[in-house]
Amino acid sequence: MAAIEVRGLERAFQGGVKAVRGVALEVAEGEIYAFLGPNGAGKTTTVRMLTTLLRPTGGSARVAGHDIVREAPAVRRAIGVALQEAALDPLMTGRELIHLQATLHRLPRAEARARADELLARVGLEYAADRRVGTYSGGMRRRLDLASALVHEPRVLFLDEPTTGLDPVSRKTIWDEVRALNRAGTTVFLTTQYLEEADQLADRVGIIAQGRIVAEGTPRELKAQVGKPHLEIAIADGEVERAREVVGRLGRALPPKDGLVLVELDGGAAQVAPVVRALDEAGIAVESLQLVEPTLDDVFVAKTGRHLEGDGAGEAAGGAGEERAEQPAEA
Amino acid sequence: MNPALAIHWPMVAVLVRRAMNEILRVPGAAIPGVLAPTIFFLGLTAVFGELTELGGFGTDDYQSFIIGVSLLQGSGFTGAATGVNLARDIEAGWFDRLLASPAPRPVILAGMVISAALRALIPAAVLLTVGFAIGVSWPGPFGLALAIVGVMGLATAAACWGCALALRFRTQSAAPLMQAGMFVLVLCTTSYAPREHLQGWLHTVATINPVTQVLEMVRQGFLGTVTWHETWPGLLTIAALVAVLAAFALRGMRRMAD
Repeated sequence: MAAIEVRGLERAFQGGVKAVRGVALEVAEGEIYAFLGPNGAGKTTTVRMLTTLLRPTGGSARVAGHDIVREAPAVRRAIGVALQEAALDPLMTGRELIHLQATLHRLPRAEARARADELLARVGLEYAADRRVGTYSGGMRRRLDLASALVHEPRVLFLDEPTTGLDPVSRKTIWDEVRALNRAGTTVFLTTQYLEEADQLADRVGIIAQGRIVAEGTPRELKAQVGKPHLEIAIADGEVERAREVVGRLGRALPPKDGLVLVELDGGAAQVAPVVRALDEAGIAVESLQLVEPTLDDVFVAKTGRHLEGDGAGEAAGGAGEERAEQPAEA
Repeated sequence: MNPALAIHWPMVAVLVRRAMNEILRVPGAAIPGVLAPTIFFLGLTAVFGELTELGGFGTDDYQSFIIGVSLLQGSGFTGAATGVNLARDIEAGWFDRLLASPAPRPVILAGMVISAALRALIPAAVLLTVGFAIGVSWPGPFGLALAIVGVMGLATAAACWGCALALRFRTQSAAPLMQAGMFVLVLCTTSYAPREHLQGWLHTVATINPVTQVLEMVRQGFLGTVTWHETWPGLLTIAALVAVLAAFALRGMRRMAD
């Protein structure tokens, strides 16, 4: 049984604005599914519907086997939720907040206390457990929010932009915790506008734009849809043509760009060493090389014509492949 | 205790405790709810202290006559402030946390309004202390208990009113409406003079205003004798106000998902 099954989910607001337009997806038990899209794409509206906070105006969905409209209380018992704005009461202490959450999930008092201690230690907040949340940093609040969502060991965990606005260290802490939870069997549905987050964490990614899913698959599958990785090799002047001939035996040689030899590699990073070896055996000195792989942004651009994040947001100037992730490799 | 409430009492208790932080952890947070009714009480006692010479007040001490309305003012303000707090929680996203939890909606509402009833005891305690210090008659244990029931009951109704408005408008900008509603309800009663001294529209409004029944229940101990005749309409009014306004608040909570 799928942990989340969504069929033609729709949500229209007053004035006829449709934030979600027929979203359909399935998330298997134990999977991490990332919903990737820019602000206003419909990610949060979808999560609010799946967590019973908002009623759909069309379609249906089941979470942990329960219909989100007809069996909303059962859905709430099965899920953990950490929403976009970590809504924490600044007057409560971290321990009180988790205890409150545990009580709302009907944990007996002694168990609630033990669970609070365990979760605070797990997210590295035991030292601040009795401090008021108002004194916590943004990263600490997110970790506390995550801990409070785990208090009843939910089958399905919804994380709405769990690392937005966090520094890299706090972001990594959250990622590590999400991975650990997933290893323990929790299904995770997360929304994000960060490509790296989806790429690093998700088993499968759904790309949403203007309320519709425009692409879905594993990060590898999605990236494969827009191109293969290629190697950019800088070599000594006068050797470019000979180098192209050598690397052409191992992959498809692309037209040179800015004096660089380019070769498309089916096997990605695994093929870097054979290429270097072949050039070395041919007596061609390699000055530097970089493996360039398609990114989820390339996928997003290919599907929507727009970049997902950063200053490049807006119409894509050059289509797929304009902004690519570069992985320097030792020559 | 209602069996459903008994089962969910630990949930109600944590929500009450959390709401009580507003006054226990924010220095001076209780002052606005105390200050206004106390100033009204002292000011009006000083200005209209001789009014009882007109007769019909049931006492020669004007302060004993108006202590009841001051108690209900403090209660109404404190109760309505629960709506302001809820609007803030909705704006901040905290309320989503409660709605996404398995806690039944009536339990969430109960947590908020019970805390209001408890918080209303603070202005009541200050007013009674000041009142007794300036000569308010001792109402007797039964009269005092009825006054407290009235204070807590009206605070509960006011909290339901405030919550219903907060859930309708979902913004703290609705705060004046919450406070003004209670202000009008409490003042358009036999607040400062007995019914026979009221004229025109105020006489009519005070007669039909259900809070008049609550005020007269609260007031009776300070004026002398407590009777069932003066008590049951007040208790019935509180029960009816809480039932109707809680239904509105729960409807608002259900419509949050629309």
